[in-house]
Amino acid sequence: MKRLKFSFSTKLTFDNYVHDHSFALRFTPIESPAQHLSAFEADISPFVSVKNTSDAFGNTVTCGFIRKEHRFLDFEIAGIAQVDCTVPKTDFMPCYRYQTAYTKPDAALREFYRFTAEDCTFTDPFERGMYFSDKLSGHMRYEKGVTNTKTTAAESFALKAGVCQDHAHILLSLLRMDNIPCRYAAGLACCDGETHGWTELWDGTRWRGIDPANNCPVTDDYIVLSQGRDFSDCAIDRGVMFGQYTNQLQLITSSVMQI
Amino acid sequence: MTIAAAGSKRSEPVVTVADAGEINDLLRRYGVKFGIYKNGQFKEQLFPFDPIPRIIGAEDFSRIERGLIQRVRALNKFLFDIYHEKNIISDGIVPEDFVYISSGYLPQCEGISPPNGIYSHISGIDLVQGKDGEWYILEDNLRIPSGASYPLIARELTRAASPGAFTGSDIIDNRDYAALLRETMDYVNCGGINAILTPGRYNAAYFEHSYLAELTGAALVQNDELFVEDNILYQKTYSGDKTKIGALYRRISDEYLDPLTFEPSSLIGIPNLMEAYRSGNVAVINAPGNGAADDKGIYYFVPKMISYYLSEEPVLKNAPTYLPYYEQDREYVLDNLSRLVIKDVAEAGGYGVVFGRDLDASALAAFRDTIIKEPRRFIAQEVIDFMDLPIIENGNEVMRKADLRAFVLSGKTTRVWASGLTRFSRDPDSFVVNSSQGGGFKDTWVLSR
Repeated sequence: MKRLKFSFSTKLTFDNYVHDHSFALRFTPIESPAQHLSAFEADISPFVSVKNTSDAFGNTVTCGFIRKEHRFLDFEIAGIAQVDCTVPKTDFMPCYRYQTAYTKPDAALREFYRFTAEDCTFTDPFERGMYFSDKLSGHMRYEKGVTNTKTTAAESFALKAGVCQDHAHILLSLLRMDNIPCRYAAGLACCDGETHGWTELWDGTRWRGIDPANNCPVTDDYIVLSQGRDFSDCAIDRGVMFGQYTNQLQLITSSVMQI
Repeated sequence: MTIAAAGSKRSEPVVTVADAGEINDLLRRYGVKFGIYKNGQFKEQLFPFDPIPRIIGAEDFSRIERGLIQRVRALNKFLFDIYHEKNIISDGIVPEDFVYISSGYLPQCEGISPPNGIYSHISGIDLVQGKDGEWYILEDNLRIPSGASYPLIARELTRAASPGAFTGSDIIDNRDYAALLRETMDYVNCGGINAILTPGRYNAAYFEHSYLAELTGAALVQNDELFVEDNILYQKTYSGDKTKIGALYRRISDEYLDPLTFEPSSLIGIPNLMEAYRSGNVAVINAPGNGAADDKGIYYFVPKMISYYLSEEPVLKNAPTYLPYYEQDREYVLDNLSRLVIKDVAEAGGYGVVFGRDLDASALAAFRDTIIKEPRRFIAQEVIDFMDLPIIENGNEVMRKADLRAFVLSGKTTRVWASGLTRFSRDPDSFVVNSSQGGGFKDTWVLSR
């Protein structure tokens, strides 16, 4: 078990005034048997009334609506989490078995799965997952700027490059081809200045985390902010707004340290 | 030529062929149209009205009524179950894959309990009558079934063209649809006004949206006048104020409903509507996620659901259906492909329906391969020899295939509207009656005795 002090902030700045801005934030760390918040605070600016709900995947969703004109939206969280990844999480849903728009394999990814699975002698789902992650790290390199948030597993696999989100989507695709239910996790990790994305797989009785971008098992250094079938269920911020703006600038900073 | 309501001594001849022309003129003048997209172009078409009504006797209708109420009750229980406990799956009645691969199943709706537990408030159930007189269920439409406005307005205009036509007859007045719909909305309303959400006048059923809003007193709204604040759905008023909406009869499909939950590029949705709905502050009619129960693959299991949830025998039969997903059924389908009708489970509106007898040898072979490769994608059905109905074409009476879309409304109780949309195929060789495929419609008269 580790006690982690964390903070995370996002600054969204628009070129021009926007209005009628609806947003949904998934930035509250999940309360689970493996993760407990002993302190938490959130701040959103400009001032706006917000409501929390809990979505289908177990995420806290913070919703708000800013009707009048504004040029920025900032939000930040800070707190202390107690993380013990050895305590089982058992919140299963059938939808985690099936491929999604992000994870649907193409011929090349199916082929990669076929020969990887052929050589894999493990039967335990977690061991298989680690094996796939290992083989994947031989194919993919970590590179920023070549993919974006809409890139699918098949697309980044073809590029042989991508960020944590892409690595996670490809591992999800491989696991689902292998009939291992799995989900995407978005959150914060030690030594990462931004948000991180990784994979959790269902070993038959509980969830186990694998970080394919770093090709390692998930430890007590990871804080889950949101989870779902793929990135689209987990987006930390989603928003719709009206206005003349042409561009938005997003600055993200985060820190996690053991205390 | 005149047409009288059969089986009713007191009925006077009520509609003449000359009236049909007049009614079609009136339909045109009132803008009773439906729009279709063909080759990327939006076209509005008149939905041709045929003056000879379909007549359903009281005894026949009472059986249909019992069967439909039973079916819709079971479907509502099924929807609640698959988005909550999933007992029907753990008890092995419906295979898990059939529910969760279905594109109509929305995991985002897991755990949401709609107001009063109702998922399908307005169900459009398509039936056909076999030559043996038996009624068969062809399809359940639990998302946003359209068409109720057509028999309503046709009856209205027939009444205008032939004043007195319906007085002293045994034809049940169908004008109560508006009251039924309003009661359905009121029963689940979470506080606030009722509203009908339309994507706008370029939608196929825009006429119906505006007509039903007028009849029920609900506000006809588009997304740009709505917003969600503090998880409450509001309509902006002209004075800059806001009005709370307690029940939203939305006529846009699930995937466009809320860009922050579903398709992010949707321009016709309402951001955070799903959070307002999840919080119990607004009823969404019909509930999002209903597609999981009206999937053509799930259709096969509806009689089993009736036994499972209600411990009753199904009153109405399904058309004999085979699932290539099951090996035994697959063999039968592959052996008998040339005389079966095959439906792609993902398609609607009469698209993706293939009659084996229309395929030549090479097309049959290719189709067999497709079924073997993607067995989950198709269902196969025996072609029902259904009863033809007379229509008037160029002044002559000819026989054509027709079906019946019955409307079942679920509020405090579940009720069947004593009317319905009878659609017919204008092409003598076609069994497909959908309006988007160029068919016409008739009024449906239900007799009180």
